[in-house]
Amino acid sequence: MKAELQAGNTSSVSLQNPNLFATTSQSSAISGALKGCLSSIDGACIEKLLLHCASALERNDVTLAQQVMWVLNNVASSTGDPNQRLASYFLKALISKASRVYPTSINFDDSTGRDDSFQRRSMSVTELARYVDLIPWYRFGFCASNGAILKAVQGCSRVHVLDFSITHCMQWPTLIDALSKLTEGVPTLRISVLSWRPRVPPTLNAPVQEIGQRLTNFAKIKDVPFEFNVIELTGLPDESSSDHLHYDLLITQMVNDLSTLKLRDDDEVLVVNCQNWLRFLPDDQKLGNSAEIPSCRDCFLDMIQSLDPCIVTVVDEDCDIGASSGLASRITTCFNYLWIPFDALETFLPKHSPQRIDYEADFGQKIEHVIGFDGVKRTEIFESSSRLSQRMIKNGFSSVAFSEETVKDIKLLLDEHASGWGMKKDGDMLLLTWKGHNSVYASTWVPQRLAELELWENSLLH
Amino acid sequence: MAEIENSASQASGESSFLLPDNHGKSVEPTLPLKKKRNLPGMPDPDAEVIALSPKTLLATNRFVCEICNKGFQRDQNLQLHRRGHNLPWKLRQRTNKEVRKRVYLCPEPTCIHHDPSRALGDLTGIKKHFCRKHGEKKFKCERCSKKYAVQSDWKAHMKTCGTREYRCDCGTLFSRRDSFITHRAFCDALAQESALTQPLAITNSGGDMKLQVVAPPVTTVVSSPPPPPLTPSTGVLSPVLSIQSSELPENQTAQLQPPPGAAAPFPGAPAAVVTVTASNSSTSSGNVPGNGGVFASIFNVPTSAELSHSAQPPVASYSTMLCTMAGRDQPVIDPMSLSLSSTLYMSSGSSSLYPAALEHPHRHYTSAPQPALSATALLQKAAQMGASSSNSSFLRGLGLAMTPPPDPQDSRHSIIAPSHWNNNTPHVKLETNSVASGLGLGLPSSGSSASFNELMINSSSLFGNKPATLDFLGLGMGAGETSTGGFSAFLSSITDGLDIATSNSFAGVGSTVDAWDYPSDRKPSML
Repeated sequence: MKAELQAGNTSSVSLQNPNLFATTSQSSAISGALKGCLSSIDGACIEKLLLHCASALERNDVTLAQQVMWVLNNVASSTGDPNQRLASYFLKALISKASRVYPTSINFDDSTGRDDSFQRRSMSVTELARYVDLIPWYRFGFCASNGAILKAVQGCSRVHVLDFSITHCMQWPTLIDALSKLTEGVPTLRISVLSWRPRVPPTLNAPVQEIGQRLTNFAKIKDVPFEFNVIELTGLPDESSSDHLHYDLLITQMVNDLSTLKLRDDDEVLVVNCQNWLRFLPDDQKLGNSAEIPSCRDCFLDMIQSLDPCIVTVVDEDCDIGASSGLASRITTCFNYLWIPFDALETFLPKHSPQRIDYEADFGQKIEHVIGFDGVKRTEIFESSSRLSQRMIKNGFSSVAFSEETVKDIKLLLDEHASGWGMKKDGDMLLLTWKGHNSVYASTWVPQRLAELELWENSLLH
Repeated sequence: MAEIENSASQASGESSFLLPDNHGKSVEPTLPLKKKRNLPGMPDPDAEVIALSPKTLLATNRFVCEICNKGFQRDQNLQLHRRGHNLPWKLRQRTNKEVRKRVYLCPEPTCIHHDPSRALGDLTGIKKHFCRKHGEKKFKCERCSKKYAVQSDWKAHMKTCGTREYRCDCGTLFSRRDSFITHRAFCDALAQESALTQPLAITNSGGDMKLQVVAPPVTTVVSSPPPPPLTPSTGVLSPVLSIQSSELPENQTAQLQPPPGAAAPFPGAPAAVVTVTASNSSTSSGNVPGNGGVFASIFNVPTSAELSHSAQPPVASYSTMLCTMAGRDQPVIDPMSLSLSSTLYMSSGSSSLYPAALEHPHRHYTSAPQPALSATALLQKAAQMGASSSNSSFLRGLGLAMTPPPDPQDSRHSIIAPSHWNNNTPHVKLETNSVASGLGLGLPSSGSSASFNELMINSSSLFGNKPATLDFLGLGMGAGETSTGGFSAFLSSITDGLDIATSNSFAGVGSTVDAWDYPSDRKPSML
């Protein structure tokens, strides 16, 4: 009996179970997908296969899921071309998801899940410094935000930066350096970070206090008066339990804690830096009795706004994978977004480059988070730049454009990288593009009343 | 048997000659319809082996235009050029007969690529290799006096040399200012600098922050054996290196303070450093903890004692990268990858870990990768293989085999229970995830490593202690009656297959993977 999967080949495949590839609708869908692939497996093909697998899992069609996984396994390779690499990470994510979908057969201790995935690897500070510069993915946001911050704090004598990010303060050396060069006087700089951070890559093998120490040394050399604070969050659920159901509570608690702290001295201006941060705040819209209860994300923004910052920078990944997205749409969106870093790395690093593999594995973990978890357990909820824009406005912010100088700096930065990287403007926001596709956006905001005040002041002067 | 190539049949127009001690042999090629990319230094066994003479390898521009005397390396290029002179030109069509994969040998008998099993797959590659390794360095950089044998290497260097290059005290070079600043803020050299009271001579040239540490070179603390002389390519680093090492014992206390988490006793560091130099001559890539020790001393990271756990796998990978760098005469790498690999040069030049990788600057391998075998071809192959081993548990897992359902004791290994399998004893830890977490891949673990080990040991005893190489369908089992359930083994084979390259990077991952042997033909890692 020949398999229906062969395409254009005359030799027949003899299989022991003649009924395997019987024409059920699902099997013919697979055979159709494979026939479409013919002699090469391209991205579209892989995407179709992934979707088939996902729909099979959702329908509890285990056999079909296994078949598709088998095919995907033959295609996937973490050292192949970008599509193969992507496929390998997606496949891993689907497998781990499958293991959770069948809890009766598997004794899966969910609470340790995150922890073990987290101890995958961690870098030293110098390795991390190199990591963030491998491609402009992070550096773009740093450059844009620092440029905006620099402009916003000019003339101020004391600056407090509230740093919400996942890159362990890699952004700040260049700001410290830029501040040290201000001709009209170097402000006193205070940087505060949280003692907690989402458990995602890039992971660092040093505690945050060490980072602070090094930044302090650096600032001293640059003659910038500097202070580093770690905001200890109390009352958080036990980290080791990593109970996803309480992640919501954790964030809510954090927001509450922050709102009780005195984050700004009187003569100090406050800068809030949200870099790859907002997407980790839960966004479930809960419906209350009469009105909508704002999600954690909205609460956070509201809290920030009430702190009266002079500028808020928001940098995040320009992708829409909302809280309510189904598995299929998540796969599609994720696949059609994360090809970007894989493709970019392909252009200048060899197949077996450890740096490349490590970097890709970190994106692989993102894939794992997005694909492997549903509902409240999913802790990375992406929001595109346009939606974020609407959200900020809803929460009382108005946007601020980047200065020409910052734009120029970013262009210079991108020139240093592969030629596929580019930048475009979207309103007041800046978007990092790879071969024309949006990857990361950078935006700056001020509380609306502050903007209105400035407008009014300006109108008085003229 | 030697092979003589007719130059007319070669697209590149090169001809080959016999060498007195030629070991070339020709093999009948199979019919690859698509080009397969082979790993560096490990050529296709069916390929045709060609040994070119040194003269041929070094020759350039053998095709000369009669009008303007411009030389070209290929006849095709000359023909195209002749068009510009309005001369009659003729482009030879690529021959339609089947293309035999060719691999090339280095004529130098002492060279590793003289061995046919280490032949290089690319003509340009062998030429550059020969030039670089055995040729005369005719190109010299004016600014820094670095010498190069291959013109393209020299040109690549010229692009970055002296142009806005920033140097950190630790010796790392950066072409971009922001990466330099970021690195510098977190570099250990800075920590030492602020702890020292030595005067610093700061030279600000055009706003660049290049700090020259003015201190007399001091002998290093590495007792046995002392680091071998640095090659010219890393010559600029030597005073920094010696200062670095010499500062270590002075700054033991200073360095211990900043990281509260690091419990590394500093006296251990010189020992770790010694271990590296001693061990580098012997080689295997398994020597991760020792390699990590080098980084421990410099980057202030827990020493080798703590490295046996999975704490520092990326350190391992960077250290292997470093050692790969070690034997190169001219590191031809993009500036971004310079930072860690050029900081320390501790291993001796000739005894690097991956000799095969040395001769291949990564640029050879950034050309577009070939497409994978088609899914249909794979399915065919797989099914043919599967059909021959009738009790393959994988096929059973797919429901393909006609054998009776497995014993109850086997069903406990099945994770997904198709209807005809027993559903009892659902207690299976998903070993895949444990494997993955053991391999450091980030799949959530299903439980403690103890249970994983237990499961693996059980599986391996069922396999008759041959868990090592799970070929995809056979799953490493000869006699298949007592095989484990399909899906779990299937999943293990997936992660095993998927993780080969990653496992290469994470060589130092901890004890959970003790039950596994990695396939022994691990590929060398490259920049």
